[in-house]
Amino acid sequence: MTNELTFIQKHEFLLRRIHSLTGLVPVGLYMCVHLITNASILNGVEAFQNAVYAIHSLGNALVFVEWGAIFLPLLFHAIFGVYIAYSGQFNTSSYGTAKNWRYVAQRITGLIAFVFIVSHVAHMHGWFHVGFWEKLMHSLGLAQFRAYNAASTAAMAMQANIVWPILYAIGIAASVFHFANGVWTMGITWGVWISPAAQKRADRICAAIGVGILLIGFSALGGFMTLDAQKAEDIENRMYTESVNTGRVVPNAKKLTNPKLLEEQAGTAKP
Amino acid sequence: MIASNQPSVIKVRVKRQDGPGQAAYWQHFDIPYEENLNIISVLQKIAAKPITRDGQRVAPIAWDCGCLEEVCGSCTMLINGRVRQSCSALIDRLLEDSPSGEVVLEPMSKFPVVRDLVVDRARIFQALKKVKAWVEVDGYFDMGPGPKQSRTQQEAAYPLSECMSCGCCLEACPQYAKVEVIREAGESEEAYRQRVEAANSVAFIGPHAINQAVLFNSNPTGQFKKAERLEALTEPGGIQVCGNAQNCVAVCPKHIPLTTSIAQAGRAVTVHAVKKFFE
Repeated sequence: MTNELTFIQKHEFLLRRIHSLTGLVPVGLYMCVHLITNASILNGVEAFQNAVYAIHSLGNALVFVEWGAIFLPLLFHAIFGVYIAYSGQFNTSSYGTAKNWRYVAQRITGLIAFVFIVSHVAHMHGWFHVGFWEKLMHSLGLAQFRAYNAASTAAMAMQANIVWPILYAIGIAASVFHFANGVWTMGITWGVWISPAAQKRADRICAAIGVGILLIGFSALGGFMTLDAQKAEDIENRMYTESVNTGRVVPNAKKLTNPKLLEEQAGTAKP
Repeated sequence: MIASNQPSVIKVRVKRQDGPGQAAYWQHFDIPYEENLNIISVLQKIAAKPITRDGQRVAPIAWDCGCLEEVCGSCTMLINGRVRQSCSALIDRLLEDSPSGEVVLEPMSKFPVVRDLVVDRARIFQALKKVKAWVEVDGYFDMGPGPKQSRTQQEAAYPLSECMSCGCCLEACPQYAKVEVIREAGESEEAYRQRVEAANSVAFIGPHAINQAVLFNSNPTGQFKKAERLEALTEPGGIQVCGNAQNCVAVCPKHIPLTTSIAQAGRAVTVHAVKKFFE
């Protein structure tokens, strides 16, 4: 009797290992960089805006980096992760060890993180930067972020409704737990830490990293929740005009909150 | 040693099933209290007088046991919801831990029930065959004495060799899902067994088999089959299914460092897979 293997069964080992790897690189690493960049808001509107300028200096290549290095690996990790989560059977009621609870938490936080990230990208980015779609999303209160008015648009988006900061706090906490615990289990999966003593040491390191990243993430969240968006916008507009003049920033009306105002300013500034 | 709050009867609740694929049902039995009983002796008492609490005479309960000293693994079942050997489950201890004063017996939930507390554990042994959990010693000529093993190596290998294939680790593993193939009407034993094997072959092999692969890969003679074992570990249902809940090591009655073996096997298959990819 021969078995008809499904695609997933046939490539189970490879798929699981790719799933494990993408959790660290690029998805996990990206999350850390993203939260640290966001926390630069604590250094002021200028610091955050400069960080965003640096990212957007990729210009037309940005969309490829976004999809190739972030969205697609993330979608693979998330969708295959849902399959993994549903293939297990929770049994903490009979075997209530801390590790077993973490096994459950890893799957639940993964699902929370998936829902959060999908809504977070919709909220700020809008998923697709195509004219009509972006307009539609913006009218729904989504696709709020404008890269050349980075801090003010992020702050306004966050302050629009109390639901957002709550969702973000839950989402960040779930994502960071999933990352820190995931790095620890990944070390076992790939055979990096082997003995129980080594696993314990690695566990402490992962927990410390998790707490650190969580603090950074919450600092960023608090920074945007309390930012004066109007003041920030004035600073950003000044930075934009000057950065365009010095050639640091490629003019792009789509990345601005109020392009007309700045066109007028640029017009008067020209000799 | 008689505690003052000793009960006069031992209340036993048993999950019964008349045959493979049939519906399970519960029966209650009251056994006069005696000191130093274990689950096997309770089952023997019920077999001698198979009358339920309601006074109904029923078929004696079927169960498996062998060594009666926790080395064969055959009497493994769920006792008060947790998997363990019934021979080493002492009633006096169970009553201390159980606030309801009831002893609940169920067959293992991850294996097909044959009858009552007897399950078909063939999948455990199929997994051992898959990872070639043996040392090749047979041949057409005398292979001579095996290579010497260092004391350190012996001491590392011995705990891994204590596995009795009882199935506790598999029962507690959240990634080890039950595989049950129901026999069709008129199907021959051979055809049925083939279907069972095919279904088992793509399901998770489990921590016990991963541990045995590590044990025999560490053996100087066993190493001849190292690559084949690592290959088997990466097949469908291989080590990749592990979800690191670490329940296996928590429930193993022999305290085998199963998660250490899993991590060791994880490292070995990482190296093996990368080498294979670039070779």
